[in-house]
Amino acid sequence: MKPVVDNVLQGCFATLLMEVAPHLGAEYSVGDVSVMGLMLFMSAEEYDRAAEVRTEDNSEMRSIFAEAASQIEDAELRRRLGDASDMRDTSLRISALDKINDALKALLIDLQTYLEGQSGDWAAHMERRIWKHLSASAERRKLPHPAM
Amino acid sequence: MDEFSSRIAAYLEAKMPAVSNVEVSGVSRIHGGASRETYRFHAAWEEGGAKKERALILRRDPEASLIETERDLEYNAYKAFHPTGLPVPEPLFLETETKWLDRPFFVMEQIMDSQAASPFSPDPFGELKDKLGEQFWRYLGQISGADPDAIGFSASMEPVKPEACWKRELDKWEQVIDEDELTPQPIARAAIRWLRQNPPPPPKKLAVVHGDYRTGNFMFNGAGDITAILDWEMCHLGDPLEDLAWAADPLWAFGNRERPAGLIAREEALRIWQETSGVTFDPRAFKWWEIFAAVKGLAIWISAGKEYQSGANRDPVLAFSSWYCTDVHNRLLVARMAELREEARK
Repeated sequence: MKPVVDNVLQGCFATLLMEVAPHLGAEYSVGDVSVMGLMLFMSAEEYDRAAEVRTEDNSEMRSIFAEAASQIEDAELRRRLGDASDMRDTSLRISALDKINDALKALLIDLQTYLEGQSGDWAAHMERRIWKHLSASAERRKLPHPAM
Repeated sequence: MDEFSSRIAAYLEAKMPAVSNVEVSGVSRIHGGASRETYRFHAAWEEGGAKKERALILRRDPEASLIETERDLEYNAYKAFHPTGLPVPEPLFLETETKWLDRPFFVMEQIMDSQAASPFSPDPFGELKDKLGEQFWRYLGQISGADPDAIGFSASMEPVKPEACWKRELDKWEQVIDEDELTPQPIARAAIRWLRQNPPPPPKKLAVVHGDYRTGNFMFNGAGDITAILDWEMCHLGDPLEDLAWAADPLWAFGNRERPAGLIAREEALRIWQETSGVTFDPRAFKWWEIFAAVKGLAIWISAGKEYQSGANRDPVLAFSSWYCTDVHNRLLVARMAELREEARK
């Protein structure tokens, strides 16, 4: 048996709030410790899901880019979308996934801006796909929050 | 007295020539004021042969903050509204010289026997919510309906034409996102494009905008009376719907759109605000300001994250507000924006 990281973080959260904070003298320190405890609680959730959230995000964006690249008329944007859709996540380190996620999100903004200027069913369909992805992405990142 | 208390005492003695033997005690920093350091303390002195005392608040500029603001704006807002009967602390001294406490600050009355509620609580007001709700929206109506020139508010404010209100605010907060984002923000960017393509009608008249009127920025007592409207750092002249939309943002009500600010029902809140302010509620304009509120929120949280991550300010509140509030605002905004883009395509 070994301690599981998210369990340790949750334990630290409980200790800080229930054991440490009540014994602090300075008003500001009590507030700081409470906020730090909450962030440990949030970190516990984030620890477990962080890689999955990012790989799902990246995979969805690449799928959108692959479909868009097949029909988009702007040659430069089509090339960028094609390149991005061919890339893969080669490391599961969070820093590496974040770096790719940032690049893909920047391209997503360019694609979305382009589509907003286009009429027709295909542009509407692609825009809808992007909003569906953004909604799913935001939901995947939803933080647990114990009421304060 | 410790050194900080002695320095405050020296300042008070210099500002009040008729008093002597000023003593400052019980200095305690209040948590949560991420845009300005806030200290409560007790001052006692001799004046005309009598001993006097008063509980005071000192708000000092931080080295870096959640919101870059000028302390004189907030001080002048208290000065403008204190004589009107709106519950705000009495402002006493504004100090821009750094020789006293290293950074500019101001001193005001301490509101006693009162508390502020956490906006991140499912039911922060309990059985007081109806009584507080009526006051919360009525006081916002008073602010929205106030004549900024007549109360002396406009004097220290940057002027703006009614038709330029929306653009000035959007430009300001978009620039914050441009400068401070640590990661691309597709939801905020889409919202900004929509806001620029769908400008709101101008307000009938310019109003005082508090800028951060919400749950957490007012104090109330155990009897359910609002005793102070605080945190005017972001006040300006503008469209009164800006404050209404910010106060009604679901972030401040644990996501509940039907009981904005965690208080009374939405329809009743709007009725009270309209009745008190004399401003007619325009749903189309309000929709614009609702989306803007989420973008402004995101800009503030993004900026807080940058401050924390860069090491400019390691206050945990900055990290928490950036992390948690960005998550909430993105989820709130993504649903609205998807609908608005569907409408735009029809």
